Amino acid sequence: MNFGRRAFLQFAAGAVGGSLLSPLPWQLAGDSARWSQNWSWRASPERGEVTKVSSVCTMCEGGCAIQARLVNGNRAILIEGNPANPLTEGGVCALAASGLQFFYAPYRISKPMKQQKSRGDISGFQPISWDEALSELGKKLGKLRADGKSQELAAIISHRPSSMDDLWLQFFTAYGSPNLFRMPSAADGLKLAAKFTTGNAQPFAFALGNAEYILSFGSNLFEGAGASTVALAAMRQWTKGATKLVQVESRCSMTASKADQFLPVNPGKEALLAMGIAHVMVSSGTYDVDFVKNNVFGFEDWTDSAGKKRQGFKGLVSSSAYSPEEVAKATGLDAAQIREVAKEFAGKPKALAVWAIGQPDSTNGIYHQLAFTALNALKGNLKPNGLITLSPSVPLAGLPPVEKNGAAQKEPQGGLYGLLDSITTAKNQPVEILFVHEANPLYSLPENKLFRDALAKVPMLVSFSSYMDETAAQADLILPNHTAFERYDDVLGIPGAAFSYYAVSVPILKPLQDTKHTGEALMTLAAGIGGTVGASLPWKSYEEYLKFRVDGLAQAQKGAVAEKPDVRIVKLAAGQSVQPNFSNGADLWKKLKAGNCWYDAPAAMPDFETPSGKLELAIQSIVQKVASDAADKYYLPHFEDRNLPGNEGDLPLLLVAYRPSFTAAGFYPTPPFMTKLIPDSVLKGADAFIELHPDTAAKLEFSQGELVSLKTTQGEANVRVNISAVAHPGVVYLPTGLGHEAYDNYVQNKGVNANSLMEVQLDPVGIGTVWACRAQLRRV
Amino acid sequence: MVIDLDRCTGCGACSAACQAENNISFRLDESNKLRSITWMSIFQLNNGRNYPDYRYAFLPRPCMHCDSPHHSPCTFVCPVNATTRDENNGIVTHIYPRCIGCRYCMVACPYHARDFNWWDHTWPKPMEAMLSPDVSTRMRGVVEKCTFCHQRMLAARSKAYKDGTDPDKTTYTPACADACPARAITFGNLRDPHSDVAKLSKDPNAFRILEKLHTDPKVYYISTQDWIKKLSDNALTEKS
Repeated sequence: MNFGRRAFLQFAAGAVGGSLLSPLPWQLAGDSARWSQNWSWRASPERGEVTKVSSVCTMCEGGCAIQARLVNGNRAILIEGNPANPLTEGGVCALAASGLQFFYAPYRISKPMKQQKSRGDISGFQPISWDEALSELGKKLGKLRADGKSQELAAIISHRPSSMDDLWLQFFTAYGSPNLFRMPSAADGLKLAAKFTTGNAQPFAFALGNAEYILSFGSNLFEGAGASTVALAAMRQWTKGATKLVQVESRCSMTASKADQFLPVNPGKEALLAMGIAHVMVSSGTYDVDFVKNNVFGFEDWTDSAGKKRQGFKGLVSSSAYSPEEVAKATGLDAAQIREVAKEFAGKPKALAVWAIGQPDSTNGIYHQLAFTALNALKGNLKPNGLITLSPSVPLAGLPPVEKNGAAQKEPQGGLYGLLDSITTAKNQPVEILFVHEANPLYSLPENKLFRDALAKVPMLVSFSSYMDETAAQADLILPNHTAFERYDDVLGIPGAAFSYYAVSVPILKPLQDTKHTGEALMTLAAGIGGTVGASLPWKSYEEYLKFRVDGLAQAQKGAVAEKPDVRIVKLAAGQSVQPNFSNGADLWKKLKAGNCWYDAPAAMPDFETPSGKLELAIQSIVQKVASDAADKYYLPHFEDRNLPGNEGDLPLLLVAYRPSFTAAGFYPTPPFMTKLIPDSVLKGADAFIELHPDTAAKLEFSQGELVSLKTTQGEANVRVNISAVAHPGVVYLPTGLGHEAYDNYVQNKGVNANSLMEVQLDPVGIGTVWACRAQLRRV
Repeated sequence: MVIDLDRCTGCGACSAACQAENNISFRLDESNKLRSITWMSIFQLNNGRNYPDYRYAFLPRPCMHCDSPHHSPCTFVCPVNATTRDENNGIVTHIYPRCIGCRYCMVACPYHARDFNWWDHTWPKPMEAMLSPDVSTRMRGVVEKCTFCHQRMLAARSKAYKDGTDPDKTTYTPACADACPARAITFGNLRDPHSDVAKLSKDPNAFRILEKLHTDPKVYYISTQDWIKKLSDNALTEKS
């Protein structure tokens, strides 16, 4: 049979035509679409029983109660708030909502690591066992102590208040070293101001929920993920239209946008405004005359212990230097505006001046803190039932008394910055071993070069971090702690809160990796050293230690456990009665473990323990910090104009670091969920944006988005320009929380670290203040 | 849903909680906001004035689940009925396997509430453990958007069945409303006149965005600031 070509082609065409009518190809296409959804790289989460565990977040000082949702009891899929908590009412911040991204972070350190190559070489970290790591370290610590060099052990720990602070102090006291330091925080200044004026070394606390008029000097009350839980709770209690918030700062921040009034002062001049308002109040007699006459020392001229007559606060503040006209010139406000604010502040019965809330990383100079205190003193806010009290202590069981190991060495002046300075400038090596716990100073210490320089002279750095952060990457030994949600921990009070607060954080799951609770590592090290050190840390687990502390709280029979959100915790008044609703330690522990917080009413302002027995505006005890022949003003609150280092001609602008809405700027880096939210006017690709006022940008001839070089005395970095009307003219604003160089590539290579460019001014009394530094911008 | 913009501090907890609850993927570089997947976006508004009279605010924007008669703008244009509105609960749903990725719904949505999966997303291996089994992960080529945490509604209804109560009368809260630390987001049944959300939606300061388009969004905002209300492009001077 002759098929022929035409017949063949017809047959072939027919076959193709036929196949188009067949459903097979379409069925195959549909099947492949469905089956390709099962490609191997598609994650397929396992189903199972869903359970909830209540706990408390310890990623910052806010103390938010949380609930973790678990599947099959072995993996966590969500961190959400606990609606039973009266302070947070079920809310959490973006960091906690992203919390599992730290729990399951790819950059977690899974076991102890020893650096076998040179410092900073990530490839040099070799895993070792806990036994090996702790026995080796224990031997070193024992030898150091036996050689009489206990003070060569130092530690930098978190400023978040918890029972770990007391355990560290116990260890260090028993070991014989005074060199235990916390990362700087705004509470440092509040504590120092309280110590000088009231004689009590507890930070000031503010009854924000009970105030009707809040004059906030630069406080980041509502800035994004860094917002204070106390401020947010207070905001919900304020009456719309009745409660007035006045924000004083240079940048038009979120808090300023929310405020009823924004007073745009030149950077760093907030305290000058406070003095100006005080001037108006004193000259018009609109201050609490009775309180000042009966309870304040140093308002009138006074005589010091050497018999010298000195000017009092009244004389100082009444000078023309603090008149509204002069203050207006330096702050950039109007004299009439200043008089108006002073009149309102003086006139409202429940007016409160607040500062240092919601700014964990920066402080204000001590004299400025005293100026804000003085304003409140004039208002009569420091009475026993006033709007300002001291941070209340939580009556947990105290730790057993420690036998001191010989005479403790004198504590270096100036806190952590003083330590770093003494390490760098000393001819010898004052610190042999440095511990770092729940802190990342190489990144988050303002002017972190100081840490880097000091570290070069420290032979051994031990990091307890769970993450390969900047500081851990430089460690010689890493003893990874359990992460925040897999360890026993507690929230011991909330900085700035007038009410008392305590909550226990329980693990939501068993630890995922071969990590160890740092508290337990300390217990093991203490036991290894033995003697009085071992005897001072007698607990076998951190849970046992917390139970011990909670026993004391139960015995004190003060405060109550909140199992429902039916207490308006920010409205509790000083001395208000709160009925205990727990019996013994076991009962209280059970309630706390269930995720409930303990709270108590604010404590009334205690008796003043100053040399005069009164609230001191003339700080007699300050003579130890300043020269005895110092001018009168150094005993008083006053405005201390700072001479910033650097050549003003070369660095004509001011650089101020600010906290943008969607970054995390503390121990934890910004997780991917939050990075996604950062606007492209703050971060674009690898470039961070600075904010510049339109006039400043025009003068420098910069356009929107232009890449420029930012230079300070600390170094240079490339940034892009965002022309924005939030900015005060002449000031460059740089966001914090960016510029990490560790962790992983979701975190790295995004912007620049503000702490590497900022410079810290050291107060005469030794706390570091970070408000601005000189800067220069030029085209690249 | 009612969102109180006076309380909102722009912290992003709502968006972070939404991402955690709904298995939302993330990329190494999220600078290109046109490619970012945010079911709950946070818009930044400002009053356009110069320093120091400049003010800004944040506006969290989930899907509006538009209640316009018969169809929402997006459900109207879908060629394969992958997105439909459930008239029992008002939620505009999206069936991922049915979606052919034409992105017509994205064009139609006046609120830019929909995002497209341009890639098959992967998570860093350890983070796969935090994926919720109650929400499907999406493959490349499909559109996704806020579902008012539909899975939470189903869980609440299942629980009601088990408990013997009326599933149609259950309430639940989506992840965003749960998380907000300023307690700015209220959620509930707008049709129940006794609910908090219904009462708040009648607040004299309550408004909706782009009302003039007659999309009838289910998300209301409250603000005492006139400049914010003006920005909502609400051309109606009084409620009609």
